[in-house]
This record gives sequence, C-alpha cells and structure tokens, in this order.
Amino acid sequence: MPAASVVTVSSITKRYAGHTAVRELSLTVPAGTIYGLLGPNGAGKTTTIRMIMDITVPDEGSVTLFDESGTGRDFSSRIGYLPEERGLYKKMKVLDLLVFLAETKGVTRSHAKREATQWLERLGLGDWTLKKVNDLSKGMQQKVQFISTVLHRPDLLILDEPFSGFDPVNTQLMKNEVVELANAGTTVLFSTHIMEQAEKLCSSVCIIARGEKVVDGQLADIKSNHGGRHVIVAVADGLQRVERVLSDRTLVQNSDNYGQYAELELVESADPQQLLQNLVQTGAQITRFEIAEPTLNKIFIDLVGAGAIRPEALGENAHA
Amino acid sequence: MPMRKIWVVIRREFLERVRNKWFIITTILGPVLLGLMVILPALLLSRSAGTTHVVVLDATTAEFGRRVTDKLESSPRMEPQYLATGIVNLESVADSLAGEVGDEAIDGFLIVTDATITDGRAEYRGSNVSSQVDMSVMQRYVQEAALAERLVRRGIDPTIVADANMRLRFRTVNIRGGKVTDQSGESVFVLAYFMWIVLYVTLAVYGAQVAGAVVEEKSSRVIEVLASSLRPFQLLAGKVVGVGAVGLFQVTIWAMFARVLIDQQATILGLFGIEVQGDGGFRLPEVPLDSIAVLMVYFVLGFFLYSTMFAAVGAMSSSESEMRQAQQPVLFLFVIPAMLSFGVLTDPNGTLATVLTLVPLSAPVAMPMRWGVAAVPLGELALSVLILILTSIAVTWVAARIYRVGILMYGKRPSPRELLRWIRTA
Repeated sequence: MPAASVVTVSSITKRYAGHTAVRELSLTVPAGTIYGLLGPNGAGKTTTIRMIMDITVPDEGSVTLFDESGTGRDFSSRIGYLPEERGLYKKMKVLDLLVFLAETKGVTRSHAKREATQWLERLGLGDWTLKKVNDLSKGMQQKVQFISTVLHRPDLLILDEPFSGFDPVNTQLMKNEVVELANAGTTVLFSTHIMEQAEKLCSSVCIIARGEKVVDGQLADIKSNHGGRHVIVAVADGLQRVERVLSDRTLVQNSDNYGQYAELELVESADPQQLLQNLVQTGAQITRFEIAEPTLNKIFIDLVGAGAIRPEALGENAHA
Repeated sequence: MPMRKIWVVIRREFLERVRNKWFIITTILGPVLLGLMVILPALLLSRSAGTTHVVVLDATTAEFGRRVTDKLESSPRMEPQYLATGIVNLESVADSLAGEVGDEAIDGFLIVTDATITDGRAEYRGSNVSSQVDMSVMQRYVQEAALAERLVRRGIDPTIVADANMRLRFRTVNIRGGKVTDQSGESVFVLAYFMWIVLYVTLAVYGAQVAGAVVEEKSSRVIEVLASSLRPFQLLAGKVVGVGAVGLFQVTIWAMFARVLIDQQATILGLFGIEVQGDGGFRLPEVPLDSIAVLMVYFVLGFFLYSTMFAAVGAMSSSESEMRQAQQPVLFLFVIPAMLSFGVLTDPNGTLATVLTLVPLSAPVAMPMRWGVAAVPLGELALSVLILILTSIAVTWVAARIYRVGILMYGKRPSPRELLRWIRTA
C-alpha cells in the first residue's frame, strides 16, 4: 500500500549570502502522480529539489519522504534522482559505472549487474556494455545517465529539468519511459520551465517564482479556477478584419494575437455570445470560435508576469 | 550500511586506479629504473672506456715523474704514460699534448716540476677536470709521491717511507640505543634516504591524486548524483582510503621488486656479462622490523593529514588547472618540512631533530628517518604520534567541512573569508 503523500515539504526557507533562494515553500506530492515543479529560471526549483534530496539543508522548515522519518540519503534505494547538473565518470566502463552507482544506492552487486545489462539491451546499448563512457556519443551517455536514475526501481523519481540538455530522440524516449514507470505506480516529481511539457505530463503542479509559491494543486482545478473566460478566434482572411472587436475593452480584457489565431481573455462580466455576435457583424469569415481552457503557459504568465525572471537568477548555479 | 557504502567507494577508487594504464606503466617502469641504477654504474665501471689516460709530463731534474707514474699505475682507474721533458721546452710539449687531448687520444696531462717537491705545486690540464673522482685520485697520488720524495731526499729509509704512507681503511658502525649494530654509516644513510624517498614520493604523488579525484568528480558533474546517495564523509573517507591503498600497493610491489633485484644482482649483472667483485655492487641495508612498523604508522597518519588537505583543495576548485594553483600552499606545507627533515641525519638526537619529529607537518617524514638512525625515546615517539593523530583529526574535520560545501560550488574560488564561513556553517 503506497503512502498517501510521497513528498511533503513544510514551509522550507533557504537563504544564501545575498538573497533568499526559497521562502516558506510548502508542497505535497501525492503518491502515484506525475507532479510538476514549475517556474522560470532562478525561481528556486533546483534549490527546492536539493533540499528534498537533503543535498542542501533548509534553514527553516522540514521535508518528509514516504511519510517516514529519514532524509533523502536514507531513502536513496527508493529514490531515483536526476540532477540538473549531470555527469558520469568518463573513464569508467559503462557496466562498471552503472553497477557502482546502483551500489551507492544500496543495490547488491549481482542484482545491479543483471538490471544494468537488461536496461542497456532495452535501450539499444547492448554492444557498448564494456566500452568506456568516453567512447559513447553524447546521446548514448544521456541514456546511460537515465538508466542510472531508474536502475534500482525507485518508488519516487525526482528529475530536475529532465528535458533540457537531452536531444529530441532521447527526450521522447525518456518521456515514454517516465510515463510507463508512472503507470506502473512510480511517483514522479520533475521540474521544468517549459510549460508545454508540464501540461502534457502532469496531473498536479506547483508554480513558484522568486522562491515563493504562486499556486499549486491539481492541474484540472488550477485550469478551471483560471478558465471560462478564454476564447480562441481565427478568421479566414486575417485578424485585421476584426481588430476593432478584439480591442473592445468593454468585452476583451486581454488579447494575444498569434497571427493565425488570437487567444482572448474576456472581462469578468462579459458574455462570450455577445463577442461572437460582434464578430459576425464585421462580415469576416470566422473559421474558429472556441471557449477554451487556458494553457498552462497562459496561466503561468498571468500569475507570474514577465518580471519574474530576476537578474540574480543568473547566479543560481553558483549558490543553489 | 554506512560502512558498506564507504567500501563501495574505496573499491571503485582502487580498481579504477589500478587498472589504469599509467598505473601499470609506472609500476613496471619503477623497478626497471631501479634495475638500471644497479646495472649502469657496474656496466660503466667494467668497461675499459672507464679508465683515464693521463700523460705524466715530467719537467723535474730528478725524474720525480717516474714515482708519480708508478703510483698512478696502482689505481685501476688510471692508465698513466711517462714523458720526460726539459723545463725549457715544457710549454711547446704541453701545446702538442693539448692537441692530443683535442684528438681524444688522451684525457689530459699532469705537469710535475721541481716546484712540486719544493713548493707543493702541480698542474693538470685535460678534458676531464670536472670529474671529482679523477681529480682527487691524482691529487692524492701526487701528494703521496711528493711526500715520499721529500722524505727520501732528507735521507730517510725508503721502506720507512712506504710504511708511513700506509693507506687508512675507515670503517663506520652505527650505535643505536646503546647497542652496536651491524649497520655501517653508509647503510644508515641509505636507509634513511630510502625512507625519505618512499614517504616523500608517495605522500606528494598520492596526496595530490586525492585532490585530482575530487576535482574530477566536480568537473564531470557526477558529484551531485553521488551526493544524493552518499554522505560527504563517506565520499571523502572512501576517496582517501582508496587512493592511499593504491599508494601502499604500488610501494609494496616496488619493494618486492627491489628485494629481488638486489638479492639477485649478481645473476642479473651476469646476464649482461658483468662480473661483480667480492664486495662490489649495491647492498640493501638490513631494515629492522620496528623501523618498518614506524614507517607504516607514519605513512598512514601522514597520508591522512595531507590527503584530507588535498581533498579540501580539490573541493574548492572547479577545474584541474584551478586545482593546480590552489594546491601550491599545501605542497609548500609538505615540501619544506620534508626538506628540513634531512637535518635529522646530522644530529639525530639534537634539538632540531626532536622538534622536527614532534611538529606534525614534518613528523611523518622526520620520525621514520630519525628512528632508523638513532634510538628515539619511546615517550617521544608516543607524543609525536599523539600530536600527529590529534592534528590529523582536526585537519580532517576542517577539510570535511570545506569538502561538504565545496563539492557543489562552481564558479570562482572562495576567498579565505568565504572558506571560514564554509567551515562554520557546514
């Protein structure tokens, strides 16, 4: 029987010399979900994940894993961690490396050997088992890195920006593997600044900016709380024909013109039907009119704003 | 469980290093160089090319040069030739001999004149004047010949003169702890020098390798994966013990090779067609067991002291080149005391030697040397070990804290003030 929540973060704060990286952040990752930790670069995602892993210690607050006492290292046999800063021992043989990394997580030697061989076969690296990491292409090294994260069949996968730095083929492959593991019951916590990925994968998310939580919860709830007033409009002969209607501030609060279509946010009391009537009256040939859920990206930008990317974010890696 | 993980780190560190081709090359090359050290001098000595061709140019009125030539003939190194000349055309003869030196027909010529006997002046011109051995041999023989000549001229019986000129054979025997040992002065020095080399090389080379191992994990970014499942202490301990074990392993292999080489040197030299005369060749000094025990204890403690410092250096650097710079202060902390440790040999129980064996930075090298040549009071040994252990613990504690913070830091190297903060907050 899996625990109800796999990761519980209670009001953690981490300060560095110049600034506060994470401030009173709380979140709960339910068992068996794919959970997204979202935010712009420098929001404090990596710092949060490192505190969850007990690689850095929070100044205040606490982290509970699997509803038991113990730190990330105590549970290293149950957690697969893929850090943002990735690397392997370049001079080791692929199999030796995988066995070693598994052993540091408490897997026995013989078991690690068997699992590693199976995974390497499965991802098409069967012929490279005894080659040195250095002899592998970048893409193959990424596969090896991924294998090292999941080899010990963890209950919880923590992936920091898993889709950046991987090539498209490996990104797809890894996404498929992650979904498969999640379907098999593994809880996945991953961070990203790319909202489209989170939207496709996550059932729950937590959005943070400037080290603080902006919103968290189930993705469906967040969308319905921020939805209902979003309309997508497309016109056959160009949006200029309806420009006047789209800029009517009594109905439209905000419009995003993407060229082929526009995503509108209506003012609170506006009736979408009224908007449709106005559009028809212009005589333009309307090809699409859709009352839509907002994209996560839209919610994110609305909540966080473009100013969320703070200048000191550039120094994140030096401190995080 | 924590011990098991340390063991996993130790094993990886050890196996990866021992399997490395450079380790295999240096391990084999070491004994080969040692073998050459034994064979080459013997080879050079046994060749006739090793002898010096000297013309004794006699410009005396009493054929004193004959006496010098006879003396030189008694040396296996010298092939003297006698050539008499008048004082008048001395310089022109000397000029033509200089030509022969130029043609490499002879190595040089020794000019003796009447002034050699009366004023003690002689001159040698040649291409081998930089050879300390040749010069001192000739100087001694000319000196002896002149002395004999002077005595004979005063009417002393030549047999008495021969007796008076008898060469001294000087034997040194080391007394250690009030007991006469069978060690000669030479072998005591060789032993101490050997200990110095072993400690100096292994501490410097393998200490620096710890720094390299730490910085390698940082620059390849594998460190964060490791830090998620291993405590910094487990990583640090595994590294230090693993690299140290490689050092011990290599030294042991070398020692075994050396033993075989030296024991079998007659056979090996025989393969090269060289015959070793009775007491010739290099002899391994007898190393007492207690000396080996002291050497081991100080090697282990010294290795911990220095390698943890090197680990901290590795942790505060982001790249190999940065580490090379950062390790300079640690190398100085090591090299200077190691050099000073030679002072132990001049007066093994003097103040300097006592201080050097108590100061933790020099003790790892100085104490085994001192122990090898003199009887060190057991109390002093215990005190020295205690100070070294306490210092090692303190240094390890500080280094572990720097390591803990440093392994995840990239970017510029920390200032001393930042380092202090790391140590306080870690």
